[in-house]
Amino acid sequence: MALSDETYAALEDIVGKKNVSRDPAVLDGYAVQMLAELVRPDCSHYMPRAAAIVMPGSTEDVQKVVRLANKHKFGIKPHGTGWYHWASAMYDDRDTVQLDLRRMNKIEIDEKNGIAIVEPYVIHAQLHAEAIKRGWSCNIIGAGSSCSVVAAACAYSGIGAGTMWMGGNAENVLGMEWVTPSGEIVRNGSLGSGDGWFCGEGPGPSVRGIMRGTLGCRGGLGVYTKCAVRLVHWPGSTDWPVYGTVPAYRLPLDKTFRAYTVAVPTWDAWTDLYYKIYDNEIGYTLHRQYNLAGADLAPTFWLMYNDATKQLSDIPEMVKQPGMAELTEEMRISLQIVMAGRSEADIELQDKVLDKILEEVGGWKVERYCEKDMAEFTNMYMNRLGHKEINFVYAGNYIGSWMQAGTPDWVKGYVPVAAAALERDYKDGLLVQSGGDSMMGTVGAYPGGGIMGLEQFVSYDGNDMDSMKAAWYHMDDAVKDAASIGYPPGKEALYIEMRYTDEQCFDKWSNAKQPFAYVFQRKIKDHFDPNNVGDRMYNFIPEEWDTAKKA
Amino acid sequence: MALDDYRADGMRCNRCSYCKWIPLDRIKSWEFAKGCPSVDYRHFHAYSAGGRMITILSLTDGRSEISDEMVDIAYECTLCGQCDVSCKVCRYDMHILSAAREFRYYLNQKGVVPAAYPEIIGKLRESGNMAGAPQADRANWAEGLGLKKLRAAGAVPGAAGAADPDTVDKAEVLLHAGCRYSFDPTLRTAVQAAAKLLTKGGVDFAIDGDEGCCAGKAYDMGYRDDFTAAAEANLKKWAEAGVKTVVAPCATCFWTFKRLYPKVAAGGYEIEVLHAVQVVDKLLKDGKLELKTPVPIKVTYHDPCHLGRQGEDYVPWDGKEAKIYGQAVVYDPPRPRYNGAFGVYQPPRDVLKAIPGLELVEMERTKEAAWCCGGGGAVPQAYPEFGAFTAGKRLDEAKSTGAEAIATACPGCVKMLGGAVAADGSTMKAIDVLELVEQAL
Amino acid sequence: MKQDLVGLFGDNHVLDDPAILESYARDESFVPPIKPRLVVRPGSEGEVQALVAWANQTGTPLVPVSSGAPHFYGDTVPSVPDSIMVDLSRMNKILRIDRRNRMVVIEPGVTYAQLQRELAKEGMRVTPPLYPRANKSVIAGLLERQPTLIPRYNYSLPEPLRNCGVIWGDGTRFFTGEAGWGPADLEGQWKAGGRQVDPKGPAQTDFYRLLTGAQGSLGIVTWASVKCELLADPKKTLFVTAEKLEDLVDLCYRLTRIRVADELFLVNGAYLATLVGADAAVIAALRDVLPAWTLVLGVGGRALFPEERMAVAEKDIAEAAAAQGMRLLSAIPGLVTSRVEAAVYGPAGGDGAGAEGADRAGAAGHWKLRYRGAVSDIFFHTTLENAPGFLATLLDAAVAHKYPVADVGVYIQPQHQGVAYHCEFSLPFAPDDRREADKVRALFSEASKRLIHEGAYFSRPYGEWADPVYNRDAASRDALRTVKKILDPNNVLNPSKLCF
Repeated sequence: MALSDETYAALEDIVGKKNVSRDPAVLDGYAVQMLAELVRPDCSHYMPRAAAIVMPGSTEDVQKVVRLANKHKFGIKPHGTGWYHWASAMYDDRDTVQLDLRRMNKIEIDEKNGIAIVEPYVIHAQLHAEAIKRGWSCNIIGAGSSCSVVAAACAYSGIGAGTMWMGGNAENVLGMEWVTPSGEIVRNGSLGSGDGWFCGEGPGPSVRGIMRGTLGCRGGLGVYTKCAVRLVHWPGSTDWPVYGTVPAYRLPLDKTFRAYTVAVPTWDAWTDLYYKIYDNEIGYTLHRQYNLAGADLAPTFWLMYNDATKQLSDIPEMVKQPGMAELTEEMRISLQIVMAGRSEADIELQDKVLDKILEEVGGWKVERYCEKDMAEFTNMYMNRLGHKEINFVYAGNYIGSWMQAGTPDWVKGYVPVAAAALERDYKDGLLVQSGGDSMMGTVGAYPGGGIMGLEQFVSYDGNDMDSMKAAWYHMDDAVKDAASIGYPPGKEALYIEMRYTDEQCFDKWSNAKQPFAYVFQRKIKDHFDPNNVGDRMYNFIPEEWDTAKKA
Repeated sequence: MALDDYRADGMRCNRCSYCKWIPLDRIKSWEFAKGCPSVDYRHFHAYSAGGRMITILSLTDGRSEISDEMVDIAYECTLCGQCDVSCKVCRYDMHILSAAREFRYYLNQKGVVPAAYPEIIGKLRESGNMAGAPQADRANWAEGLGLKKLRAAGAVPGAAGAADPDTVDKAEVLLHAGCRYSFDPTLRTAVQAAAKLLTKGGVDFAIDGDEGCCAGKAYDMGYRDDFTAAAEANLKKWAEAGVKTVVAPCATCFWTFKRLYPKVAAGGYEIEVLHAVQVVDKLLKDGKLELKTPVPIKVTYHDPCHLGRQGEDYVPWDGKEAKIYGQAVVYDPPRPRYNGAFGVYQPPRDVLKAIPGLELVEMERTKEAAWCCGGGGAVPQAYPEFGAFTAGKRLDEAKSTGAEAIATACPGCVKMLGGAVAADGSTMKAIDVLELVEQAL
Repeated sequence: MKQDLVGLFGDNHVLDDPAILESYARDESFVPPIKPRLVVRPGSEGEVQALVAWANQTGTPLVPVSSGAPHFYGDTVPSVPDSIMVDLSRMNKILRIDRRNRMVVIEPGVTYAQLQRELAKEGMRVTPPLYPRANKSVIAGLLERQPTLIPRYNYSLPEPLRNCGVIWGDGTRFFTGEAGWGPADLEGQWKAGGRQVDPKGPAQTDFYRLLTGAQGSLGIVTWASVKCELLADPKKTLFVTAEKLEDLVDLCYRLTRIRVADELFLVNGAYLATLVGADAAVIAALRDVLPAWTLVLGVGGRALFPEERMAVAEKDIAEAAAAQGMRLLSAIPGLVTSRVEAAVYGPAGGDGAGAEGADRAGAAGHWKLRYRGAVSDIFFHTTLENAPGFLATLLDAAVAHKYPVADVGVYIQPQHQGVAYHCEFSLPFAPDDRREADKVRALFSEASKRLIHEGAYFSRPYGEWADPVYNRDAASRDALRTVKKILDPNNVLNPSKLCF
């Protein structure tokens, strides 16, 4: 598809010639996206190509482009840092203008009230760095600190390692500025009333109720051009004294900080551990993080990673070294906990509480991983989440399957099935054989804990058709495997939707257990997006698919 | 390797965008978080290293054709390698800097180069140097210093009218000034300082009055044949002169000799390559140089890309991709990482700290995370505005430290940063580390 | 009409006694009284759904109410004639208590008194608002976004509300949050291991956030899941006092930031006196002796090493106070701490009327009314640093209206972990004194307007606040009207409230 010259010229008029492009090489820079190969025909790495890339510099620019879209009948797909296939254009047969919001990158911090106001291209690492200088910190999403704060807060999940203590971005978001697909600007809460950024609710029923939900609109319903998020107290050094040889940077532990890897003998003990952590309110960032490298390989992997002279090819040798087999078993069911005390007395008490909890559940601290080098690495890793591309370390591509969210007791139910399924699926060597339990997840996906999920890491080679196909089939298998134990499908189901036509999506959503949500969202879309400028990343059921109406 | 050989990297790039930033752990502020000047200037994803990988895919998949935009995508980049460092924080299988160089070579072979390139390479081809200046003027910088010079090729000892008491046929240690130092009078004091320090430190060395250009820039521009010819000529001359150690006060020459020449040298590469600042560091630590005069100045140090993250030791490798654990991508034999972990970072800092009265303050983006000066990849000639933009950003960072001067170890960096200072009207000085050392003698 | 409804709900649960109707016609606010036509008391979700369906067919306005009297903000007073009160107090089952997951699922008629007593058997409670009356519905309090006492548990303003079962205005039955992803069958979800913990969604809408602050105008909630906290034991109450509000601001910021206390709120002497005084005479006497301003801090121990936990918290609080040059007190001079604790920690707030079954029609005994018999509250959200300025505005208006400044009660409650503060000005008056009532009414109106104009954010725009609030934010108003049209197309639920 191609925009008319008249439309293209109009875009240039709005943002300036150098901030628009329809050069095919530039366009493909936005079409190639993570996970495209698992949803596109023939495992193509290309999502649909946009008709043009536009880089607005302000909310006003965005509004003008959106209004033009309504007038000239093209679609809009914004992204912040743009890492996921649903950040791209969705349709091969429709003109979509991709908005790359990277020119909108300002940040402002209200130090007294602990509020940061950010534009879409402020990444979590930048916000975190500026917050730390001022004695604050922030929740960093599981995808890592290279990702857009606005995108995570307004348009996607927002959950991270710090969520149990700090809140997820969904809970922490305050004022939001939303350019609707029809080109209006809606601001929620106190922001909408002109009273500042500090309160996201109301007035009366909260307007923000239509703004994100579980998953956010993923760029499918308008553009979020600014938001405010709540910051969290940081009791550590404001200097950020990171040191070390790349890649394994370290952060010294302030005297009120601790960084542990703890382990338990059984999955029953693991659930008890989580509930006791919730009840005892300990922990600053808590995540079953290192296990993403696979329970069979992870203990060796991270020691390899921390040696700047070593690389992946050293693992087969290292894993056989004396003590590694024992360490691997010791860490089989383990997770990482960083604790931060508001005072020395507080951290001493947290330490005592953790020790008692471990005693009660039959768990232990993994000594090697609590030694200075690994503790400082864990402190760095868990506080900044600057290594999340390691999700892809083995072969450049991974798909996160399972990750159904629920209580720890419930999640435990799918762990052995997910583990056995991965071992089955990688037996022929077309996926990385990291151990059936290659599951990773935050300890609390909601502040205070109570709910979480475990994501199975299935690594495949995006340069190998057979490997890509194996990953493709794994996704289908995961849905079946979950159904076989009466569990709903996991994250892979969201990706599978990306393979669908619109009609297949509508069919799926109209058969949801409670399809009302999608009917409601259609009516929201009818009002805010009368010319269908958005796309189906904002899920809805068209009227003709509304089974309740038919009934 | 050919361009197609980098398709695998492109297929395994999942668009994380780490290549746009310094290693995320090291970010200490909003302002100094960025790592890639190219994407910071041009913004479209294609201008990042990851974006370049996609462009390679798009081109080799036949989805796009060579265009003016593609020329800019390939060449409007200083090849500073920050992207490579950041990518390799989490990846062992990606070589995006090599891919960027390969992309240029590919286009160059098709005659697709920026408009400024023919003139630049013309200078090398016609004059034997990147300045397009008479080679006879090469050693003018050394006048009056009493340095030993290698006999020029074809010159006969004692030729009538030629008084050449310092001419030698052999030299184990060669001080290679480089084209910038040889032909840019504004930069001369630094190479003179290097020579004086080596002399004072008792190093027995010679210079080559008829130095050949290292041709590293030619390589970066994609003119590999020109590079190979220049390299072979230099290697031949050094072999004939019995050179065992080449000392370069220019980081680009240093990098070229250290990392590119071994690939050209037939039958192994025995030359020890050192940057002048490494030699001075050793002289100071061995007590062969003493610094007595205080130089009361607050200085911040800029890591040149070619000395720092790209200055790691060369490791010969001729292997292939292999897989372990089913699909995990490795190399057989293991491939050198070149991730900036072991670049030459500490010697220049130790040298500065040895200067009495000098206070060293660090910028946020140091060592493997240093922001480029804008001088690499032939950018100042082909994309001068972009080069100036990049240098200006580095100057901003230097100013944020409160330093009075920004010290570095490369004439290209001094030139770019000096240009930024002039454009800014700032009182800051851009200066070579060795000039400061000389002041402290 | 009555016949239809008797057919659906039975004789006993369709009421038209004039005295009963009169009791719903007005409340403690200044909203104009309008008598409902009938009161209906459904006993189940199915009955609620049937009622809403009937209301749509007949075009009859419904006004949901779950708590007993007194009501304060006008949201449960009909705004149009011929409304039917939907009294949900019969639906008072505690459906499930889950200690392991610290969740409770309740019906709308469950009161704080009832719930806290049952949860206490499991060592839990729900974080309460300040001194809720015994007959206050927990769900109603949460849907109103009444501020709760422990800022560090207030992860989001609607906390601890999680999922809801709702009958929307169009009659659709739906579950919000995590419960909305599964079948609309609570027992079935429990059997499958669902616990209705995550409030977000389902899909890309936070339906529960639409329900909060809606004054029953979008849907009628028939059950809710609520997060519980562990009961603190041991527990103590500490105080920091000051002459000026400004003197406590920095300490309050610090304490909410480091999340050290449980209950944490600021009150002035007048408000504190009303909170703890048994009657008007005691209140008047206390006002003369209590400190001008008091920061009330609950400190407790839970789970493992509770004594140590409390001790460490107290130590950290004392250090924070000392750093500001202030002292931590275990008692306020002239006041028995247990009186404060009864008001703050008691299962129903200890209002003397005691347990459930308290007089629904009467206002007797409510602590807010003890001093003068009536009270008018102005409340809004702000950041703490701006609170003193808003107080100055209110006092200026009070002086202008010759309202005794000494009577103004102030309650400031940190919420959302210290980002947003509920700021409440309480204006007691004698309801039978016509001139005084008119004066307070005029003061209420003028002060409200000024505060709105100066940037006080009226996040819960009851009564006459609605118009100016929505006039300031036309985009939100239009968005909410769109939501209303979707969820209640025939406008049967509490019409003419808010911007509907």
